[in-house]
Amino acid sequence: MNALASRQVSGFSLNFVYGGGDALRQSLRAGFGLSIQDGQQAELARMIDREEFERALRPVLPLAYRYCLNLCGNSDDAMELVQEASISAFRAFHQFESGTNFKAWLLKILTNQFLMSRRAQSRQPAQSIEEVPELYLYRQARRFGVSTKVDPFELLLDKVDGLAVRHAMSKLPDEYVVVAVLHFLSESSYDDCAQTLDIPIGTVRSRLHRARRLLQASLWQIAEERGYLPNEVAR
Amino acid sequence: MSLNCEETFRRFQDYIDRELSEEEMRLVREHLESCGMCAEEYLFEDRVLRHIRKFLADNEVPADLSERVFGALDRDSGV
Repeated sequence: MNALASRQVSGFSLNFVYGGGDALRQSLRAGFGLSIQDGQQAELARMIDREEFERALRPVLPLAYRYCLNLCGNSDDAMELVQEASISAFRAFHQFESGTNFKAWLLKILTNQFLMSRRAQSRQPAQSIEEVPELYLYRQARRFGVSTKVDPFELLLDKVDGLAVRHAMSKLPDEYVVVAVLHFLSESSYDDCAQTLDIPIGTVRSRLHRARRLLQASLWQIAEERGYLPNEVAR
Repeated sequence: MSLNCEETFRRFQDYIDRELSEEEMRLVREHLESCGMCAEEYLFEDRVLRHIRKFLADNEVPADLSERVFGALDRDSGV
């Protein structure tokens, strides 16, 4: 739905319509063919870009924040990352192709910004992947004689809160955590993840599978440390 | 053609993620319908992943998120 807005640009008042498509935006950027000075025109263009950017960003901000929160592991770093990435995205907004997927474009910027910030302090997995079998939680449950017919929620996950899951996520190496969070949170397909992260689809698949194994091992360890495991398992 | 337990197991993750071809999805589904052990492993793993996904998505978002992000944009633009 179109919405009318009136803005004051250096004393020049203009009513314009949002969502009118590229042609309308081009006209607006050109000042509707009216005679206005270059400075005013540039300011008008910036204002229109900002309105468009805000309109695109607002609905995806909660997802962007949760993405950052699960990458960083704490709310302060997440807030900083989402702010910095939003500024970077706005600066590069002229490169965004109207009509394409803004959410995917933003997630790519968030990911790059996160990986850049982490470059100097890349995490190593607490456990070698070779030590962690597939279906880790299922195998652990069987190993300790816990019924695997029960929902894993009853086994352990009802006691593990979101903070513990974030903590487990934060133990994953960066290249695994970005794939895992992207896939889990935005429900991106392998192909979408590959495009967002600029990596081959086979790499997405193998990193995601490894991330799941390490994440499950980490969750088990947290539950064990905190005494969350059922009596059958507690030693 | 049908899959054995090992062949099914190798396709578990892709099956959960719906990343197999239609034909492979059908083959895995058929095996799970006829093998109690594999079905139990699959159900457990599927539930684990669904719970993890829910945990990630349920994180609370600060009430002033938009305000802070757009405020940072304003400051950066010198508004």
